[in-house]
Amino acid sequence: MNADAQQDFALAFLSILFEGAPFILLGTLISGFIDIYLPPGTMDRFLPKNRNLAVIVSGLLGAVFPVCECAVVPVIRRLLGKGLPLGCALTYMLAAPIVNPITALSTWKAFQGQSPLAMTSGRMLLGFLVAVGVGLVVSRISMRKVLRKSIADKVEADAAKKEHHHDHDYDHSCCGHDHSHDHDDSSKKADDSRLIAAMRSAQKDFVEVGVYFTIGVAITALFNTGIAPGAIWLDSLAGNPVAAPAALMALAFILSLCSTSDAFIAATLAKFTWSAKLAFLVLGPMLDVKLVFLYQTVLRRKFILGMSLSVFAFIWAVAVAWETWFGKLVLP
Amino acid sequence: MKAALPPMKAALPPIRPVLRRVVFSLSVLLWAAVMIYFYESGRIVKYLAPDFRPIALAGGLGLAVLGLFNLLTAFREVDCGHDHGEGEGEEHDHEGSDMNPLASLILMTLPVGFSAVTSTDSFSQATLARKGLYENVQPADTPFLASAFPAPTREEIENTHSKTADGYLQFSLMELFFATGDRELQDVIGGMQIETEGRIVMEKNDNPNGTRMRLYRMFMTCCIADSRAIPIILEFSKEPPLLPDNGWVKVAGTMTFPEENGTLKAVLVVTRATAADVPPEEKFLRR
Repeated sequence: MNADAQQDFALAFLSILFEGAPFILLGTLISGFIDIYLPPGTMDRFLPKNRNLAVIVSGLLGAVFPVCECAVVPVIRRLLGKGLPLGCALTYMLAAPIVNPITALSTWKAFQGQSPLAMTSGRMLLGFLVAVGVGLVVSRISMRKVLRKSIADKVEADAAKKEHHHDHDYDHSCCGHDHSHDHDDSSKKADDSRLIAAMRSAQKDFVEVGVYFTIGVAITALFNTGIAPGAIWLDSLAGNPVAAPAALMALAFILSLCSTSDAFIAATLAKFTWSAKLAFLVLGPMLDVKLVFLYQTVLRRKFILGMSLSVFAFIWAVAVAWETWFGKLVLP
Repeated sequence: MKAALPPMKAALPPIRPVLRRVVFSLSVLLWAAVMIYFYESGRIVKYLAPDFRPIALAGGLGLAVLGLFNLLTAFREVDCGHDHGEGEGEEHDHEGSDMNPLASLILMTLPVGFSAVTSTDSFSQATLARKGLYENVQPADTPFLASAFPAPTREEIENTHSKTADGYLQFSLMELFFATGDRELQDVIGGMQIETEGRIVMEKNDNPNGTRMRLYRMFMTCCIADSRAIPIILEFSKEPPLLPDNGWVKVAGTMTFPEENGTLKAVLVVTRATAADVPPEEKFLRR
């Protein structure tokens, strides 16, 4: 990299980083405090008994419990163990990083001057529809076809344990373990401890997301300034209504950006169509390199492959259809 | 079992989580320091649009609080205060991470540190070219700009634009550039004696006599990475005066909108051009 390329990279890299880092901080602070202060069973109480309705409501839970895609995988792993239905868990997993106020705010802010309302609402709506679609399908297939064997075993064991607890009419005295929460009102130490634990959890989330964000921003800066090989080729696809969404979705997959800040990068892709940017913003939080690795901690590889291909194809088809029929009517 | 442990062992947390907290805190603090420094030094104006600067400062301060808090409490052993149930073991650890602390430190600090040290706060000519400096950008391709500038009348222009001592109406470069896509605006501005400012570079296209240069500024929506060059053409009657390449200039003359090779262009026929001070803002819409 010559001196000119270095300074170009440094300028683009820092500007995107300065723009996105505050939103990552906000997201990870919230997720850190949710992690510590929100009892694990809380989400179950928000869901209706009807299976389909529960999946639909799960797609909106991100509005109440905002979690980015990096944090959501460990969360659903825990929630599955607590009895959250699989379809609801996957719907929440796919929708929460998109359908949440932090992502909405950052998308709206990043697209100032580029139809921010249309992009924000389009992203929320398409993300919600994809997530609910996956959830409805998953809720109709066997859990063992979806979850890793060890997770499925644990979920079944937990379910059996729950039955056992119900049989005892919630009398835990026989179980040999303590279900009580450790709330000692007389001691301020407990509150201090929880605050420290929340800040530690937030910092851990920030660093984990920050590392991927740094890599994503670096790759983006290389493309933005034309340093990266393939940047010209990528640009050449920008005006193609069929190839452009697929190209940006592939870019989203490679960049592995956080949903709280990816809009700032999408907004810089000036040559691409609106629907290609929409496809980038919807696919990225659902599927990227880092998520493929994270998903493998919960889901079977075969299922991940099938889900990935379906989600990719659906979002691409919607983007192409939008560009073909409506792209030139109302939006840049 | 815990009660049987010697007091020191019971009081001190294991070294690995402490080390991880310290390393994570250092990474966070470095980001905080860089963000606060760029804001305090004023360099942030080259990176972010005005709306985003206070957000960046707030982010930097927030990171400083987060990093310092965790650094100062790194040795405290805490209880998260809720029961995760039996059998979860390691999952009870809210700090459990697959991220190697040293790798995270390198990945988070090296690119940021390298960029903060090497950045000259400006793009090279090659990147400017990539961002449209030498393109005949048609404003119709950027309709979001159109909404910002409804076509005014000649009277409105004279009432809203100040005049120089030698009688030139002061325009922003954006207005002149934008007029290439707006016939009504061309009718109003065409033939006007105007003054504007921007960076000057040699015209590389359609310049057989060498009498043309290009005046541009960067239009930044959020950050400099999303910026686009907004250029107009300067037409001199003879060879252009010696002005610093890519330096800031003030130019005055008659505004025209000729059609060349099927493309409408914004061309300022220059009567005077002088070097100017670097404006405090890169953002284009500055008055």
